[in-house]
Amino acid sequence: MDIMQVEDVSYSFGALKIMEDISFSSQMDQFVSLIGPSGCGKSTLLRIMAGLIKPDTGKVLYRGKEVVEPIKEISFVFQDFGLLPWLTNLENVKIGLSASDMDDDKKTEVAKKLLAKFKLDGFENSYPNMLSGGMKQRIGVARAIASEPRVLLMDEPFSSVDELTAETLRSDIIHMLKSNDISVNTVVMVTHNVEEAVELSDKIVILSNKPSHVKEIKTVELKHPRSRRDPEFMDLVDHVYGVLTE
Amino acid sequence: MAILDFVVSLLVDISFSWMRMLIALLASILLGLAIGIFAARNERAEKIVMPIIDILQTLPILAFFPFVIYIIVGSLPGYVGINIAVIFLIITSMVWNIIFGAFEAVKTLPLEVSEVSKMYRMNGLGRLRKIWIPASMPKVVEQAMLSWSIGLFYLVTSEIFSTANSTYTVKYGIGVALTNLALSGNYFEYAVGIGIFILFVVLTRALLFAPLETFFSPYNDQKQRKHRFSNFMHRLKTPKFPKIHWHIKMIDLGHHNHSSRGANAASIAGAAKPTTKAGLMDKRVYALLAVAAALLLLLLLYRIGIISNQDLGYEYDVLVALAASFARIWLAFAVILVVSVPASVYLIFMTKHRNAYVTLFQVLASIPATILLPLIALELRNAPYHNELVAFVIFVLSGLWYVIFGTMSNRNAIQSSMLEAKKVFGVKGIKAWRYIYLQAIVPGLITGAVTCIAAEWNASIVAEHFTSTALGNGNVITSVGIGMGTYLDAQLTAGNYWLMALALINLTVMIILINRFLWKRAYNSVAKVYK
Repeated sequence: MDIMQVEDVSYSFGALKIMEDISFSSQMDQFVSLIGPSGCGKSTLLRIMAGLIKPDTGKVLYRGKEVVEPIKEISFVFQDFGLLPWLTNLENVKIGLSASDMDDDKKTEVAKKLLAKFKLDGFENSYPNMLSGGMKQRIGVARAIASEPRVLLMDEPFSSVDELTAETLRSDIIHMLKSNDISVNTVVMVTHNVEEAVELSDKIVILSNKPSHVKEIKTVELKHPRSRRDPEFMDLVDHVYGVLTE
Repeated sequence: MAILDFVVSLLVDISFSWMRMLIALLASILLGLAIGIFAARNERAEKIVMPIIDILQTLPILAFFPFVIYIIVGSLPGYVGINIAVIFLIITSMVWNIIFGAFEAVKTLPLEVSEVSKMYRMNGLGRLRKIWIPASMPKVVEQAMLSWSIGLFYLVTSEIFSTANSTYTVKYGIGVALTNLALSGNYFEYAVGIGIFILFVVLTRALLFAPLETFFSPYNDQKQRKHRFSNFMHRLKTPKFPKIHWHIKMIDLGHHNHSSRGANAASIAGAAKPTTKAGLMDKRVYALLAVAAALLLLLLLYRIGIISNQDLGYEYDVLVALAASFARIWLAFAVILVVSVPASVYLIFMTKHRNAYVTLFQVLASIPATILLPLIALELRNAPYHNELVAFVIFVLSGLWYVIFGTMSNRNAIQSSMLEAKKVFGVKGIKAWRYIYLQAIVPGLITGAVTCIAAEWNASIVAEHFTSTALGNGNVITSVGIGMGTYLDAQLTAGNYWLMALALINLTVMIILINRFLWKRAYNSVAKVYK
């Protein structure tokens, strides 16, 4: 079943056409990666899916309903974390519950549980700038799933943290998704890292540049956990590189 | 015992003054947050509000004081009216840079912050409380500190302002107290009073602004809280003085709207960014304001008298007064340049004790020049052309620090590689001055000059005409024959509401024209090269 559908989306900035007729979908329990050269509008596409930006033509559907503004079923993880430096870590997670009808005590309780889940208990009352990049992004993810969304959109979530931390974060997220530990049904992630895309995805949407359109949609059926040294894995990586650079 | 009484009475006076300042500061912060955030979040509001504030912040609003007094004391007589007039005036000195601070803080927030608020569907109040206000506060506090030093000048000047009419003076206040002491020849007590004044300035910084700054620091970490004192000392040494926030600069910062992700791509492709349109709007607002001012001027001329000869007579008087003050102020400015340019070059490039000098200058600059007016007027009483001399000295003292600190505040833009290049290529003597020192300080000098001249105009309402009404007798202590200060005082005493307005419109038009055709041009041409 399609959870998110992108249908013939085009978008221009002024006279410059950024993307043209982009279509793809993400199904139940699927992890989808959007990959393409830098400047091809991947992040803009993700924001269109979030309802933050309106496409010029085409539309985005969530379970068949058009997305025209942010809705509570769709959440977002930002590349530079998007944490508010003047709020404590706990308050930052509670931002994710802004539109919920929970009372404040309940929100605090939920946020505390989430921080504990991401091994951040003890940091409730300190501020984001005292944390490492990896910890910040864990707060970003905790905030994103606080309101129990069905769709998680991630904009290069691991590019602002070091490689070792990124590895742990990736396996945490894939584990949560595959074990149905969290409410999220599908993830759409923007990345420019081919290995990362192959490691995480069930489906890789490969985009071209200027204006961007879909070059190929590659299904990945390798079992988790995936090893980067597996020949099949390496073949897939080579294939994606090939499509990207052709 | 007498000395104790004296100190207690001074403390009472300074409490009254500080109360006015604190009320004005609180009002300015609330207004600044409201207007700044609104303008930053609403593009249409930005295009209308910011150019207007741009003009208002360069106007010598103290010159409007006689007019404001006339209006407010006229409808609210007595002690309340005059205090409201003083507080209102201090607000007009404090609020502009706070508005710019809040505006800039919200405008320069990363795009992600506003996306977070949309993504998690925060409501208006939530955004205000959790995002816009906390994001603005560090800048607002920083600007509030500047506002305080500008406000002190307004406070003292408006307190010692006096005409023949004693209902137009406040009874308690440090400005009044010090004027009384100086005029009655108690120089020792006068010096003690100035000492206490400086002490209060330093204490306010330490006990009010330093904690506020720490509290609203954008990086709330515990280490910083522990080092409050060293922080405070450090901040005392960092020159903070008014800078002109040209709106043009704001526009440059202003294109992170929703398409800014695309903007990267656009700039790669060489597509023009939509700033020219904003610049055009800016000009249109200016033109509109100029036309409105001209119409108002015509209307006034019409209202004052039906006979056109008489109208022209009034306008002629105002223009003569304006020209006389203009000549004094710009002559003083020339003298300020002669002193402050070498001083700034020395401070920036030559001395190893820069911090010591800056700290000393900060303390000296915290003394509003107008508080020295009674002393200077008495001391120069027997000098030839003493009225002119007094005005001139006050103008120089009022404007001097603005140029020095304006130049200093641009210090960071001067790269150390410039000085290394100077050493490597052995640039020395006149060549070093001509090709390095003088050129490097120009951008800071321009912003310093604008604030300096505004400060001189502000001082003119007391420097050109000063009476001892505060002392109980209405003796004229100093008065130049012709000048805006004298003219405005005379019209206030006579209650000529229309003539005051006429003079102020002339002054405003002149300031706007000079900003537009001299300073802004100079700034833009410099900004192009120095960027």
